[in-house]
Amino acid sequence: MTPSVLVLAESPAGAVSGPTKEAFGVARTLAGPDGSVAAVTTGGPAAAQALASFGPRDIWVADIPTESTTSGAVAALAARAAQESASAIVLVGGTTFGRDVVGRLAVRWGAAAATGVTEVTRTDSGELRVRRPVFGGRATETRTLLGPRAVIALRPHAFGAASEIVGTPAMHLLDRSVIPANEVAARRVSLASADGASGPPLPDATIVVSGGRGLRTAANFSLIEDLARSLGAAVGASRAVTDAGWRPPSLQVGQTGRAVSPQLYIAVGISGAIQHLVGMISSRTIVAINTDPSAPIFKVADYGIVGDALTLVPALTQEIRKVRGLS
Amino acid sequence: MNIVVLIKPIPEAESRLRASSDGRQLDPEGIRFVLAGYDESAVEQALLLKENAPGSKVHAVSFGPVRCEEALRAAIALGADNATWVEAPPEGSDDPILAARSLAAALTSAPHDLILGGKHAGDDEEGLVPSAIAELLGIPSFGSVADLRPAGNPGGISFARVTEAGVEKWEVPLPCVIGLQQAWNDPRTAKLPNILKSRKAPIEKIDWSKTLAALAADSQPRSVSERFALPAPRTGAKMIEFKTPEEAAEKLVRLLREEAKVFP
Repeated sequence: MTPSVLVLAESPAGAVSGPTKEAFGVARTLAGPDGSVAAVTTGGPAAAQALASFGPRDIWVADIPTESTTSGAVAALAARAAQESASAIVLVGGTTFGRDVVGRLAVRWGAAAATGVTEVTRTDSGELRVRRPVFGGRATETRTLLGPRAVIALRPHAFGAASEIVGTPAMHLLDRSVIPANEVAARRVSLASADGASGPPLPDATIVVSGGRGLRTAANFSLIEDLARSLGAAVGASRAVTDAGWRPPSLQVGQTGRAVSPQLYIAVGISGAIQHLVGMISSRTIVAINTDPSAPIFKVADYGIVGDALTLVPALTQEIRKVRGLS
Repeated sequence: MNIVVLIKPIPEAESRLRASSDGRQLDPEGIRFVLAGYDESAVEQALLLKENAPGSKVHAVSFGPVRCEEALRAAIALGADNATWVEAPPEGSDDPILAARSLAAALTSAPHDLILGGKHAGDDEEGLVPSAIAELLGIPSFGSVADLRPAGNPGGISFARVTEAGVEKWEVPLPCVIGLQQAWNDPRTAKLPNILKSRKAPIEKIDWSKTLAALAADSQPRSVSERFALPAPRTGAKMIEFKTPEEAAEKLVRLLREEAKVFP
């Protein structure tokens, strides 16, 4: 029998996250027609119920408050679920949550581990082979994971979301006593929605619109936010913008900020220094708007427009609103 | 407070990357390895905490080949009090789980209230080592952290981090492991006399044979690299010709819908 593939689910407020849906899709492929897919959540019954629509045969569920959901607690519970489900593979979406848990779970469960994975295949001898971008997308590496167990964090947006399947999974309760005592003392004391919270958070977004120094003033940066709103996109910024205090550092894309890999990345008034490129070069389609035709950003972009952002961006916002029927 | 900073030398950002002759990994020939930006932030954070709590010690620790020594000297030049090089197996290994096990074995006997690392290394971007060390040492760990400071209560630490959910503030007991997000703290640069002094500073070396004995059955890598590939360079942008901004917008949106198919 092919052993089960376990999805470590992230389901904030009872909604299944995009990266978790992708993990279900990969789990079905790896399990094949003879294997089975299981899921584990620490979000309680509401989260478990939401996961049922993605067809796992079994769901292991613990109910721990989000204020004390530490990576150590999740790893302990997930390791127990992996053991009880006799799984060989645990998959998790590569969000902050997922990346924090992988290393701990691998140690606790005695498994190999990889993060940021964009491709998973099985070799002829049955070993798992993963591909992952390295050096900010400037190269890729292929690794073989050794041994019978593996924990893999998938890069968000690298896979398609699984379709929903009607099913009635068996529910299993996880005993909270497996959580180490020193994990219980850690407390999340507050949660504020992300800065400039009009759009989706950066790492999650399928479209990112980023602005740079070419916008000339902090006030002009609102043109970027208007364009992002018309696309339902997240807003990013170059280091020049966050250093100048036009927008908070949490929006910075690049070597010292966030790395993003959306379907569409629009860089406006960003010259394309290597420090910025490493944070966005693995985006699927890249659009660059810049006054300087020799800007390095045009070398990595798929589509380029040489011109002034201050006239081009409002025209683009207008056009997108038109085709999306927003105006 | 005893603060450990995990260090990994990585290729300079401007390096030309090339695969080794067997195609399995990066060819290190001709590449200058430096202290990673994330690591500089971690050292800076450690020094700030030390300045706040006199009597604290900052201990830089690195696992890998001999080039670790140079990165550790860079950390000493910035202000680390002592440094330990945990030697990798002679045949080499880039398995993060083996790195974590080797480092944890070294740290078991070294005082550690707070272990700081970068969120991930700028080269392999695995980000597994800090949290795996935490599990091995049996202490909590948090990644993607910015803005770390001593908590109101002694023996604790508080920090903010940006996650998909928003900005989270945490208060956690020590000891714990923290993976730092970004250079929010504007790392200092080393002064020349300190750089010169760091060249002669002693670096503790833990031989692979000692780590091997400590790890026993766990000394095998759990993953091996098979192929290191550079993507075909992008050929450059398709440039959009236009007379008015409206025309440029219309052409771009048509290409995005019909050719790139990124939105309906």
